[in-house]
Amino acid sequence: MDEDVLTTLKILIIGESGVGKSSLLLRFTDDTFDPELAATIGVDFKVKTISVDGNKAKLAIWDTAGQERFRTLTPSYYRGAQGVILVYDVTRRDTFVKLDNWLNELETYCTRNDIVNMLVGNKIDKENREVDRNEGLKFARKHSMLFIEASAKTCDGVQCAFEELVEKIIQTPGLWESENQNKGVKLSQREEVNGGGACGGYCSVL
Amino acid sequence: MAADSEPESEVFEITDFTTASEWERFISKVEEVLNDWKLIGNSLGKPLEKGVFTSGTWEEKSDEISFADFKFSVTHHYLVQESADKEGKDEVLEDVIPQAMQDLLCMNNDFPPRAHCLVRWYGLREFVVIAPAANKDVVLSESKCNLLLSSVSIALGNTGCQVPLFVQIHHKWRRMYVGECQGPGVRTDFEMVHLRKVPNQYTHLSGLLDIFKSKIGCPLTPLPPVSIAIRFTYVLQDWQQYFWPQQPPDIDALVGGEVGGLEFGKLPFGACEDPISELHLATTWPHLTEGIIVDNDVYSDLDPLQAPHWSVRVRKADNPQCLLGDFVTEFFKICRRKESTDEILGRSTFEEEGREIADISHALSKLTEPAPVPIHKLSVSNMVHTAKKKIRKHRGVEESPLNNDVLNTILLFLFPDAASEKPLDGTSSTDNNNPPSESEEYNLYNQFKSAPSDSLTYKLALCLCMINFYHGGLKGVAHLWQEFVLEMRFRWENNFLIPGLASGPPDLRCCLLHQKLQMLNCCIERKKARDEGRKTSTSDNVTNTYPGDAGRAGDQLGPDNLKGTEKEKGEVGKSWDSWSDSEEEFFECLSDTEELKGNGQESGKKGGPKEMANLKPEGRLCQHGKLTLLHNGEPLYIPVTQEPAPMTEDLLEEQSEVLAKLGTSAEGAHLRARMQSACLLSDMESFKAANPGCFLEDFVRWYSPRDYIEEEVIDEKGNMVLKGELSARMKIPSNMWVEAWETAKPIPARRQRRLFDDTREAEKVLHYLAVQKPADLARHLLPCVIHAAVLKVKEEESLENISSVKKIIKQIISHSSKVLHFPNPEDKKLEEIIHQITNVEAMIARARSLKAKFGTEKCEQEEEKEDLERFVSCLLEQPEVLVVGAGRGHAGKIIHKLFMNAQRLTESSDEAAGMAPPEEELKRMGSPEERRQNSMSDFPPPAGRELILRSTVPRPAPYSRALPQRMYSVLTKEDFRLAGAFSSDTSFF
Ligand SMILES: Nc1nc2c(ncn2[C@@H]2O[C@H](COP(=O)(O)OP(=O)(O)OP(=O)(O)O)[C@@H](O)[C@H]2O)c(=O)[nH]1
Ligand SMILES: [Mg+2]
Repeated sequence: MDEDVLTTLKILIIGESGVGKSSLLLRFTDDTFDPELAATIGVDFKVKTISVDGNKAKLAIWDTAGQERFRTLTPSYYRGAQGVILVYDVTRRDTFVKLDNWLNELETYCTRNDIVNMLVGNKIDKENREVDRNEGLKFARKHSMLFIEASAKTCDGVQCAFEELVEKIIQTPGLWESENQNKGVKLSQREEVNGGGACGGYCSVL
Repeated sequence: MAADSEPESEVFEITDFTTASEWERFISKVEEVLNDWKLIGNSLGKPLEKGVFTSGTWEEKSDEISFADFKFSVTHHYLVQESADKEGKDEVLEDVIPQAMQDLLCMNNDFPPRAHCLVRWYGLREFVVIAPAANKDVVLSESKCNLLLSSVSIALGNTGCQVPLFVQIHHKWRRMYVGECQGPGVRTDFEMVHLRKVPNQYTHLSGLLDIFKSKIGCPLTPLPPVSIAIRFTYVLQDWQQYFWPQQPPDIDALVGGEVGGLEFGKLPFGACEDPISELHLATTWPHLTEGIIVDNDVYSDLDPLQAPHWSVRVRKADNPQCLLGDFVTEFFKICRRKESTDEILGRSTFEEEGREIADISHALSKLTEPAPVPIHKLSVSNMVHTAKKKIRKHRGVEESPLNNDVLNTILLFLFPDAASEKPLDGTSSTDNNNPPSESEEYNLYNQFKSAPSDSLTYKLALCLCMINFYHGGLKGVAHLWQEFVLEMRFRWENNFLIPGLASGPPDLRCCLLHQKLQMLNCCIERKKARDEGRKTSTSDNVTNTYPGDAGRAGDQLGPDNLKGTEKEKGEVGKSWDSWSDSEEEFFECLSDTEELKGNGQESGKKGGPKEMANLKPEGRLCQHGKLTLLHNGEPLYIPVTQEPAPMTEDLLEEQSEVLAKLGTSAEGAHLRARMQSACLLSDMESFKAANPGCFLEDFVRWYSPRDYIEEEVIDEKGNMVLKGELSARMKIPSNMWVEAWETAKPIPARRQRRLFDDTREAEKVLHYLAVQKPADLARHLLPCVIHAAVLKVKEEESLENISSVKKIIKQIISHSSKVLHFPNPEDKKLEEIIHQITNVEAMIARARSLKAKFGTEKCEQEEEKEDLERFVSCLLEQPEVLVVGAGRGHAGKIIHKLFMNAQRLTESSDEAAGMAPPEEELKRMGSPEERRQNSMSDFPPPAGRELILRSTVPRPAPYSRALPQRMYSVLTKEDFRLAGAFSSDTSFF
């Protein structure tokens, strides 16, 4: 079954404690909502294969604990990640305000700068919304992220969020192509053309 | 027979070719290629713009065909044109002559600085060449040449191709081509003469005009006018007057400077030889007509000073030896060495000196010994000798361990704290950490995954590089590394922090070696705090910063509580070491009963909150705002907690692998959480110790406030009260948090089992360091060396301000950051980066050389100076640069002077008068006539004379169409060439 898998992508879910990271992931991988989900300790890990535009991609998704004390464990999971899902709770403004801190952390630990970031505003099924959709949109635009609102409970936007993210990653070839295909600048060649050397027909008179 | 041996792919051809000869087959293959490339018919492009041969892009297409078993390559060369609308060829205009014929007369691209020779000779924008495919193959015999030429002629005729088709004959180096171009009723023959010895009559204009006219054989009188373009090229090789500038120092300047000439941490820079070898001055008369000028075997009007156009090019030395490039390249070579440190040094060297791993003090005592002579001076002069010797002999041949002076200098450079007033006091080393600057430059380490430019790792990289280059090559490198590792162990065992490392956990943005050193520093820091804590804690003082005697602390946490975890730990292997202590150590802790006295944990073991409330609170850090405990209203205290274990990226990698291996099942997830709960448990225990009698609710309010939900409710009396409870997920029975809470005992952090075993981690790091071979080391540190080299190049560039170099440096940075971020970059890519850096170095050196030669610094008038600087930078970037004002312009005068000085040196090398300043020389020149004579002798004989003669003349009969005729001639020292293109009207024959 793995044979037609185009690539394995590493994805990271981050955000304040209790915003619903684990719930979103559970919804995506098992299509269920478990109100009895314990607060994450350290990091958790799930795998799912999806197909986007006919490309199959295996996702290795790392769900991190939002709880501050566990965060010292997480830097390693940023390494080599191709996509990051940053979650906040639309019914708790403080989780939105903290987004800046999370972006900082991202910047510090991410080893590459072409990583794809997605912002997800979760729990839109709830009544007491505190963060307007437009605010989320604005934040995402400011930081060049994908943006979507979702609910792990009602399933809204969850599938779509992961698919968008994967599609975007696949469109960013440097992110998933093998490192050997990495094209470097060929400065040396240009230099050769300019400076002397043997004549292959092209030359000056002397 | 022929059909069998050569199966044709196209079916319809089979019948035709059964009787065909090799020759016919060859012609048809040529036609096929011309058809494939759609070169049929006339497609007129735009008239050629001035200079487009240089500024435009040339491309070529190739195919291979054979004549019997002789292989030829067919190549189409063409200038890429925007609106090359090849489709418009349907409407072939009857009386329009082919593009190539028109181009013969175009004067906009005479003497292109760099072009295919056929372009230079005939001014063509497009042509096809048939040449023997193999380099050694030649078409020599006249009959074969003729056969080829007639094949070409037939193919052109059959296809209606109007692109000129050439055949290369004779040896390739002779660049002999014959060819033909056909149009409706017209034909141009391309002919060539190539001689080693020049007949006298061909050395001047009048002789060449005679040949041209006789070649045309024009029946008309008077002959239509012949237009003439002439270019003489003069070569200047002798720069003696203008010393190779000091700035990019030659070797002696580099190491000879007595005042800190060669410092560790400073990279050498510059070319060792003049990177500009020749200057070519081309003096051009672009448009003369016959009779205006006299140039014959006794007299010439062609005075270079009077030429209307001057242009200059410089020839760059091929791969000039550049110091920085060499430096980095030599270091990179270490990456390929296979030997281990021991193999290189031979164990005995050090055993003889009685140095054992256990007795490290030696390494340090060396540092603290008073140096008899100021170390800097001593070692610098030493280096001068070594460096000279090194460079004279071949580097690397002579490999030796370091002598003491050099070693001392380096160790002092790396560990400045060793020389300071309070030697080896760990705390002083933190002062040495330069405040991290936020500048883009400083943060380059981030992109290169190297280390900050003020860090120990970076300095070490530079020192090793320098050692490798000047002091004993690989052996020196191995020696320094061994000393370095000894120093590390010494610092660990004696609680001296390592200087030059940012404090805190390893910085994952840096190279692994840097992280390892930071890790070691973390271990030293904790050990030191523990040892100091032990000294003071006899009176049971609480150390706030560090968990006190954690290693020795006994506690009540029975092995059974964590039995499950321990077992699993066994399964998943060693990588868990850093997360919790091993069992051995744990039991050792149990045996230490001293700490257990009087803390009453025995009773607390089974006790509920009530009993616990009687305990003496321990390990409080501070009050947590105004929060109070739920059951008794006492202030809620934040406990002193254990610091999480610092990790290097390889450890983290291992860990995440292990965690991932647990799989995605529920059990896997549970196990994963369990494994990561050590920290949670430890924090709970600390919290319980600091807040006797607390509940999980209290803990959650500090630790995960969002999981404590408070609501305003109206109580029975109608008052608003805050009612709080745990969140749903915390209330799930026997979830991991509840489980952990139940097992947690009130134990302050300092008496808990260590989460981080600094002893073992330090030993691991030290072992890791000790087993690194020089090659490993070089790989670890190469990013630092590249980083340093880029900074150096940047610094040097900023002095010269060369925009093209700026751009290339940017490219190098972005290229390197891509390459270096991958764990094991390919050698090829690394080499490419180093090559790019060397190129930039050479470019800067060239700029300096030219600036010195043209004396841009000496130029006083601001405007002239700017012009001159612009001129010099153009020389570097363009193949050929026009000299504004020719011989009379500012730059022109300088060039004139350069030639004059060189001339004088060659003519009268022993005459002192030769040194007279050139200005006076110029004034001395009298009448124009005399002056002309004089200035002629200012220049050497031209190294190249090129002439283009053009006319439009009817051939072969007076009533034929008037068609373009052209002859190009070039005369250099080695050869003489005439390339003629003679067109004739074919319709009336
Ligand atoms: N109504 C509603 N509740 C949700 C939704 N998503 C999550 N929750 C609830 O929010 C609480 C926290 O969800 P988790 O998924 O455990 O949150 P988390 O971000 O993983 O938290 P940490 O693991 O502590 O970082 C749980 O009680 C969930 O049932 C949602 O979309 N709608
Ligand atoms: Mg979670």
